[in-house]
Amino acid sequence: MDQINEQFNPQQDNQLAEFADQVMQGKLNRPASSLTDELLGLKETILRLSNGFPPNPLDDAAIKQMHVRLKARIRREEKAAKPSFWKKWFGRDVSPQLGLAFTILAVLIVVFVSTPSLTAPGSTTTGTASTPVNFIAAAVLAAVLFVVFWVTRRK
Amino acid sequence: MLYSVKFINPFSPSTTTKYMENTSNSPFQGPSDELLIQQFKDGSQSAFDQLYYRHLPKVFKRVRYVVPENDVEDVTQEIFIAALNSLSSFRGDAKFSTWLRTLTNYKVAEFYRRRTRKQEPLLSPLSDASAHTTGSSSKTMEERIYLQRALQDLPENYREIIMLRFAEDLQFNEIAELISQNLEATKSLFRRAIAALRTHLDK
Repeated sequence: MDQINEQFNPQQDNQLAEFADQVMQGKLNRPASSLTDELLGLKETILRLSNGFPPNPLDDAAIKQMHVRLKARIRREEKAAKPSFWKKWFGRDVSPQLGLAFTILAVLIVVFVSTPSLTAPGSTTTGTASTPVNFIAAAVLAAVLFVVFWVTRRK
Repeated sequence: MLYSVKFINPFSPSTTTKYMENTSNSPFQGPSDELLIQQFKDGSQSAFDQLYYRHLPKVFKRVRYVVPENDVEDVTQEIFIAALNSLSSFRGDAKFSTWLRTLTNYKVAEFYRRRTRKQEPLLSPLSDASAHTTGSSSKTMEERIYLQRALQDLPENYREIIMLRFAEDLQFNEIAELISQNLEATKSLFRRAIAALRTHLDK
């Protein structure tokens, strides 16, 4: 930026502001000639700006049409927006974390309930088959579910 | 969010005479922005329609100053969709028009970030000007593209004051209040902004 532009020049500031006001009101479409080169150049820039962007681009009909198109887009986007995996399975009000907790709990229950009991005939000793292995399987399942949740969570 | 698609004409007598409370930033009689926002929060989708009708012209004009012609409506729609989605969390710390202006600037910046990621040209090439002859001559379109490029290259405070005066048609005293400066400082900033724009246009 040149030095002239940075100078404090209230008179020029006021003249330019007044000119901009008049241009915006449609009262002027060219700068007066008896001006300094600097001010003349600035006024020409204002006119370029004003002429480049006509003041009223939208009439009532255009606004209504845009409104209709906006609503159509909103409807399209609502249809296109897929609910997350957790919402699909557990409904809108259940958080993904709660859904995950329920799932892990359900898996653990299934694992332990389905564990074959080993009861020797005629014996009072009851045991479960390879209990440590089932714990590991449950832990692995829980870990897999957690990874699935982490990867598929909505960002 | 579910959104009623029932068309409400906010200019109809039934809507404009329902509330006679005026608002300083409204071109017509009607409920204030604050009241409409409250009604929207209470479930009235038509309240959003009224906000849309009231603020669309200024938002559209502001976007048109800095976004290529082909994308103006698209970006404008994105602004109002974002407004619709976040209006329920609007706390009223600032005026709605100020909030919407900030949202507009954010969405315009996002538009350019997207373009940069896709490695598309940031602004229309001048050859695009010949494609837009409806309502504007090719020369006017070319001039507009020059102006948009120059505006985009300006520092933010310079671009903002030009937009407030030309795109939003705010008076200098209103701009001064908005940017928390006195009138003289505002006019001085405007002159420096125009000088900077001129420099960019002359390049």
